[in-house]
Amino acid sequence: MKVWVIIIQVLFIHVFLFLGAAIKAVIPLPIPASMFGLCLLFLALYLKIIKLEWVEKGAVWLMAELLLFFIPSAVGIINYDEIISLQGAEIIVLIGISTVVVMGITALIAEKITVRKRSEQH
Amino acid sequence: MMILVTVITYLIYQFAKKAYAKWSMPFFHPLLLAPILLIALILLVHVSANQYLADSKWLTHMLGPATVAFAVPIYKNLSIVKKYLGTIIISITSGTLVAIFSTFGLSKLFHLKYDFITSILPRSITTPIAVEVSKEIGGLPTLTTVFVILTGVIGGVVGPIVIKSLSIQTPIAKGLALGMGAHGAGTNKALEFGEQEATFSSLAMIFAAWITLLWGALLIPPLMNIHLLF
Repeated sequence: MKVWVIIIQVLFIHVFLFLGAAIKAVIPLPIPASMFGLCLLFLALYLKIIKLEWVEKGAVWLMAELLLFFIPSAVGIINYDEIISLQGAEIIVLIGISTVVVMGITALIAEKITVRKRSEQH
Repeated sequence: MMILVTVITYLIYQFAKKAYAKWSMPFFHPLLLAPILLIALILLVHVSANQYLADSKWLTHMLGPATVAFAVPIYKNLSIVKKYLGTIIISITSGTLVAIFSTFGLSKLFHLKYDFITSILPRSITTPIAVEVSKEIGGLPTLTTVFVILTGVIGGVVGPIVIKSLSIQTPIAKGLALGMGAHGAGTNKALEFGEQEATFSSLAMIFAAWITLLWGALLIPPLMNIHLLF
């Protein structure tokens, strides 16, 4: 059954999250346990300690359903109704402008570098 | 209760996803439509919002393993990462700087309160890490989560428009822009462009998180001191 494969693999991915939490307890840096976990899982794959097939289906599911895990926090907005009524419009305009600028500049820089690299190769 | 809450949240999420796939209007974005439907339902059946939040906590917890899971696309695309490492680092470093400075500048312009500014600065990175940066610089984690989600929804809408109006051609530029500007939601959008775009988008997300963690320690504290001066 595919569902069981996914559940077992997601549980297995938790092992790396817990190892990450252990590292975080030792290293006093403001880095979340999941970031350490990401590095550990990458190293385990890279050093061939584990096989890609052991985690791939679970990882693909977690990434595909990422939006689902945001939903409870989005519902939490209900506890901040005064913010929304007070400065909601300003905040949306702020995020909109900033996001357009961020995406535009990131895209232009990446595009420039890539096109230049290509023309150097030819 | 936990199972019921999970099942209902999942069904509403699936419905929102289908609706968005069919009509593809910004309003139907799953991160907008699903929470609105859930809030309506909570108000309708007189369940307290905090009860819902407590029972759905484990879904939020899944953001942890989901972040860990991003090791898989990095590993699978290692040759691409190696080939484009310089481009990724330069673009994403610029992106995070623009994100922090533009957010700070606009926050000043709109006269946001101190704890609003510290909560909104890390908004362009993925939630678990944004929350961590927010805590570090004195923001409110719940508020940060809301700003991150708003960024995701808005980014998913404006992303394709930005890409089109600047006539961006390469998959790397499209992917990096979406992942940098709108984290997980951007990566989700990048999947509509193609697999390469999605790969670069998830890479952008991970690099943006790491680089912003760095700025969280080095750049943001002095910036907040400047804020206190004026």
